[in-house]
Amino acid sequence: MKMTELFRRIAAPAAVVALVSVGIFATRPLSARAPFTPAQLADQEKKLLEVVNHGRDLWHGSRKDMSTNGLACGNCHPDAAASNPQTFPKYQNDMGQVVALRDMINWCITGPLAGKEIDPDGTDMIAMEAYATYLYRGTTITPGLATAQTAPIVAIKSGTGYPRKASGIGYDK
Amino acid sequence: MEEGVYVPEVDPYGITRRELVTVAGKSGLITMIAGAVGLNVGMVKVATAEPESPRVQPFTFAIISDSHLYSIPDHKFDGILADSVDKVMNTRPLPEFVVYCGDIAQNGRQDQLEKGRKILGKLSMPIHFIPGEHDWYLDLGIAWRGMFGSQHWSFDHKGVHFIGLTSILVRDFWTPAHMSPVERMSAMEMLESPIAGPWGIREEGLEFLRKDVKPLRGDQPVVIFTHGPLWDYYPRWNFQTEDAPEVRQILSKFQHVMSFHGHVHQTIFNKIGNMSSVGSLGTAWPWPYPNVKLAYPQSRMNRVDPANKEDGLGVQHIDLDRGFKGIWHGDPFSDDLLQPEVRSGWKV
Repeated sequence: MKMTELFRRIAAPAAVVALVSVGIFATRPLSARAPFTPAQLADQEKKLLEVVNHGRDLWHGSRKDMSTNGLACGNCHPDAAASNPQTFPKYQNDMGQVVALRDMINWCITGPLAGKEIDPDGTDMIAMEAYATYLYRGTTITPGLATAQTAPIVAIKSGTGYPRKASGIGYDK
Repeated sequence: MEEGVYVPEVDPYGITRRELVTVAGKSGLITMIAGAVGLNVGMVKVATAEPESPRVQPFTFAIISDSHLYSIPDHKFDGILADSVDKVMNTRPLPEFVVYCGDIAQNGRQDQLEKGRKILGKLSMPIHFIPGEHDWYLDLGIAWRGMFGSQHWSFDHKGVHFIGLTSILVRDFWTPAHMSPVERMSAMEMLESPIAGPWGIREEGLEFLRKDVKPLRGDQPVVIFTHGPLWDYYPRWNFQTEDAPEVRQILSKFQHVMSFHGHVHQTIFNKIGNMSSVGSLGTAWPWPYPNVKLAYPQSRMNRVDPANKEDGLGVQHIDLDRGFKGIWHGDPFSDDLLQPEVRSGWKV
């Protein structure tokens, strides 16, 4: 048998199988269903935490148009405390309607922070929500809890409340 | 001038709004009364009729804390501090001195400290200052000391011994990291910063305290001021003082010690051994309560309504009898129907 014939009969089909396999593997990260490989899960977590980290920066004043008086979300909500993401959507007396967390975030930006509201559908808003929600992870969802103050689950001595690469400065190790 | 005391000149600083965050402390009381207006009158009558307290004479002092002034002109926090000053000046009998429990400035800038000094300059009585971390870490206290004097001080007033200590000293994290003063200040400004670590009084302050109280008798009433609480409340937010156990040990020879602190921007009380501890509200904003169980949950104020800029601001009254047991009375809410147990007072 000539080599070309051998290739046609064995190698070519194998290559097709291999290509199909690569194709399936390449589309796996786009799949929204389990099972996920550990690497895929780690990648998802990494992408989430990047957004959480961006949200933490915004929470502490990285976007200047969110405030005109020097205040940031973190002034009143350290560690996102009392932001209560698990209670939204809920009825807000002063707004007279049921609102989502992002509505409350923009309320705080335009009110106490005297800033310019951010796009409720934008990536920065998602990041703000991601930060608060991540720090409240595991908390029971109780929509409509209007007045109770709750605290996030972080009760650690240092750090930021979510996994990240530490700065190495001081106690941030 | 007495060390650590800034006696302001009367300054007709314009005041337009009214809000207040002070703690009024008293000594010499026998009967406990809860009520914002009647307290002072009652204090005088009761104390003058009390023959068994010859050492402690009745008086009132006020505490203002945590104004966090920004450099921005006409900032809303300027007005709240000015209103606090106004409230103190309208209290009768006039408080005989004021203690400022730290964090005049937000970013440690000299212009922010100057602004605070100007606003507080309307007070006609002496003011005693201790620093907060927001006052200190831009220049490591140079501007603050230049304006407000010694970082540790004590004085006697009508039979009560008062002590103020600088309690916000952290270990040097900035030199190894080659941080600029502004970067250092920024790391300290964030309550939940992972960088700064726990703060404390450190040996110089502890040595001052040891020497200061050494000649005093055990029945001497003592009041001590620090920026953070002298107990482990929530170390993650530096709601603590790392060497508070040493402070409590040094002061353990006294029958009764009253500790007042700022930093927490909320009503909070605790008692450890002979020391009762009361937190001050801030004139800037209220902090939420951390996720820990409070030793005295009665002292917890309600969550503040962010739509009401006057909510969470008010007056706390501390009435102390001659044994330094007393009633704590808080009225920090625009809607004071919410916490009757706080409104009516409870024993400390």
